[in-house]
Amino acid sequence: MSLSRFLIKRSLQGLFVIWGVITVVFGLRFISPGDPANVLLPPDVDPEVRAQVIAELGLNEPLYVQYWQFVSGIPFGDLGLSLVTRTPVAARVVAKLPATLELAIAATVVAVVIAIPLGVLSATRRHQPADYGATVFSLVGISTPNFWLGVMLILVLAVQLNLFPTSQRPIGLDGIAMLLVGGEAGAAIRGFVTWLWHITLPAITLGTYFTALITRLTRSGMLDQLGQTYVRASRAKGLPETLVRYKHALRNTLIPVITVIGLQLGTLIGGAVITEAVFAWPGLGTLIINSINARDWPVLQGSLIVVAVGFVLVNILVDALYAYVNPQVAYD
Amino acid sequence: MISERTRRNLRRELRRSLLAKLGIVVVILMVAMAVFAPFISPYSPSQQSLDNSRQPPLGFSTKETKEVTKMEDGSVVIEDGQVVTETQTVYTNATAAHPLGTDGNGRDILSRIIYGARTSILVGLFGTSLAALIGVLVGLSAGFYRGRVDDLLMRSADIMLAFPSLVLAIALVGVWGQAQAPIPDPFVATGLAPAFRSAVGLPTGMPETVVLPGTVIVVVALVNWVWFARVARGEALSIREEEYVKAAKALGASDGRTMLRHVLPNAITPILVLATIQVAAIILLESALSFLGFSGADVSWGFDIALGRQYQSTAWWISTMPGLAIVVTVIGLNLVGDWLRDALDPGIEGEGGV
Repeated sequence: MSLSRFLIKRSLQGLFVIWGVITVVFGLRFISPGDPANVLLPPDVDPEVRAQVIAELGLNEPLYVQYWQFVSGIPFGDLGLSLVTRTPVAARVVAKLPATLELAIAATVVAVVIAIPLGVLSATRRHQPADYGATVFSLVGISTPNFWLGVMLILVLAVQLNLFPTSQRPIGLDGIAMLLVGGEAGAAIRGFVTWLWHITLPAITLGTYFTALITRLTRSGMLDQLGQTYVRASRAKGLPETLVRYKHALRNTLIPVITVIGLQLGTLIGGAVITEAVFAWPGLGTLIINSINARDWPVLQGSLIVVAVGFVLVNILVDALYAYVNPQVAYD
Repeated sequence: MISERTRRNLRRELRRSLLAKLGIVVVILMVAMAVFAPFISPYSPSQQSLDNSRQPPLGFSTKETKEVTKMEDGSVVIEDGQVVTETQTVYTNATAAHPLGTDGNGRDILSRIIYGARTSILVGLFGTSLAALIGVLVGLSAGFYRGRVDDLLMRSADIMLAFPSLVLAIALVGVWGQAQAPIPDPFVATGLAPAFRSAVGLPTGMPETVVLPGTVIVVVALVNWVWFARVARGEALSIREEEYVKAAKALGASDGRTMLRHVLPNAITPILVLATIQVAAIILLESALSFLGFSGADVSWGFDIALGRQYQSTAWWISTMPGLAIVVTVIGLNLVGDWLRDALDPGIEGEGGV
C-alpha cells in the first residue's frame, strides 16, 4: 500500500468514527430522564404552551427527522441552540476553545521540555541517583490525581507564599494577539506576562501526569535503543558517544513517544476539564460542567462532538506524521 | 489457569524487587482498611462536632487572630461610647484524639479516610470487573470470529476511545443521575463491630450501611471496557490459530465452549495485568467524579478534597490528607502492576489517569 492510499484509508476510517461519535452523542438525549422541554418550562405550565415549545424544539418530529436535523447541520458548523440561552451552541464552544487549547498546549510544552531530557538522563545514568530520582518522580507523577495536585499548588504557592494567582484567566493569547495587531506592543507584553503568571499553575497541574508518563516512555525506549546492535556498531565504528546517544538512539526513541503523545490527547482534554474546574479556567471543561448542571443538553452534546472530533483529527495527523517518518507502517 | 512457570516468574521477580513487595503491602493494607473499617475507624465518618472543627493533625498547630471584645475585670470596656475590641491570637494544638485532624464540621479525617477507602475500592473492584467482563466478551468474539464481527466491534471501540474517559464519564453521570444502593454493613448488622468497639472502648454508632455507587460503577465500566477489548482481541487472534483450539473445534466443541474453555484461560495473564492498572485508573476516575460532585458519594476521598477547598487558607490538611490516601493507594496498585508486567511481560497498553 502506498503512503497516499494509507492516508486515504485512515481518513475514511476517521470519517466513520466521526459519524459514530455524532450518532452516540445524538443518542445521549434518549438516555436522559425527562423531557428537554422541562428545562425551559415550569412543571405546571399550560399544556398548550408546552406543546408549542415542543414543536419549536422539533421534539415531536419522527426520530429520523430529528436525527437528520441534528447531523445535517454539523458539517456547516451548526450544533443547534442552547436550551437555556437560546444562542447557537457552536459560537459558545468556539468562544471557550482558546482557553482549553492554550492550557493543553502549555501542559504539553511543560511535559516535553522536562520529560524527554529527564528520560534520557535516566536511561544513560542507569542505577545512579539521577535514574532513581527520575523513576520515583514518574511513579508518583502517574499516581497523583491532577486535581489534587492543583489544590496543593494553590495551597502552597498561591495561598501560603502568594507567588501565583489562585484562579482566573484575565487575558488569553487571542487577546494578546489582538493587542499586537492593534500596535499596542507594550500592552501586549504586559498581557503576556499576566497570561504566563496565570497559566503556570494550571499548566503544571495538567502537565505533571504527562511529564511522568513521557519520562517513563523515553527512559524505557532509550534503554531499548541503547541495547540495539546498530548502537554497538556505531560505537565500534568510533562515533562519539554524544552522537550515538543523542542523534541515533534518541531519534528512534522519539518516534513511539510522539505516537503516545497523540494517543494521550484524549486524556489531556479530560485532564483539562478538571484542571479548569480547580482553577476557574473559563474553557470547554467549565462549559461542559456548567451545561450538565443547567441540564442544557445541546451545549453538552456540541462540546462532546467538538472534543471527540478534535481527538480523531489529531490522531489522523499523528498517524500521517508517523507514516511519513517511518514509511514501513503504511505497508502493514 | 496460572501455570507453574508463571508462578515461578512471579516469585522470582518478587524476590528481586523491593518496590513490588512495597506495592503488595500497600494494597493489602488499603483493602484491609476498607474491609475492617467499622472495627478500626476511631469515629463514625459522619459524626460532627462543631466545637472541634478544623483541628490540625499531629505535629502541627494553628494560629488564628480574631477580634474579641476587650474585657477588664470581668466587664466590657467602653471608651467614647464604643465597645473596645482587641485582637487576640488563638492557638489550636493537635490532639491524639484526631491524629489527622478534623474537617470544617469537626469530623475526624482519619475516620473519613478509612471509610473513603471503601468507596474507592468498591468502585475500583466492581468497575474493573464489569469493564473486564464487557471488554473480554467483545474482544474475544472479535478476535475469534474476525471478519465483519471484528470490524464492527473494533470500530465501535474506536468510537468509544474518541471520547476522553473523564468527559464521557461526567456526561453519562450528569445525564443519568447518581443511583446508589445502600447495602447493610455485615460487621455492623451481625453485631460484631459494635461488640468489638465497646470491648476496646471505642465510640459506637458506626454507619449501618455501605453505599454502593451503582451509576458510577456502570459508568466507569462503560468508559474503560475498550482497553480490555483490545487486549482480549489481540490474544484471541493469536490463540485461535493454536493446535488445541483447532482440535477442540474438530471435536465439535461449540464456539462459546471453545472461547471460554480454551481461548480465555490462555489469554488470562495480560488481562490480569491490565486489570491491576485499571483498578488504579478507575480509582482515579472515581475520585475525579467525586471531586466535581458528580458521583453523589458523601464519603469519598475526592469529595473530601473538594470540601477542604473552602478552608484552604485556614486548614490545609482537610484537602491534603485524602489526596495522600489516593496517591499512596494508586502508587501501590501501579507497583503491583509493574511487578506483574515485569514478571509476565505481556507488553500491553492501557494506562490511564486523571
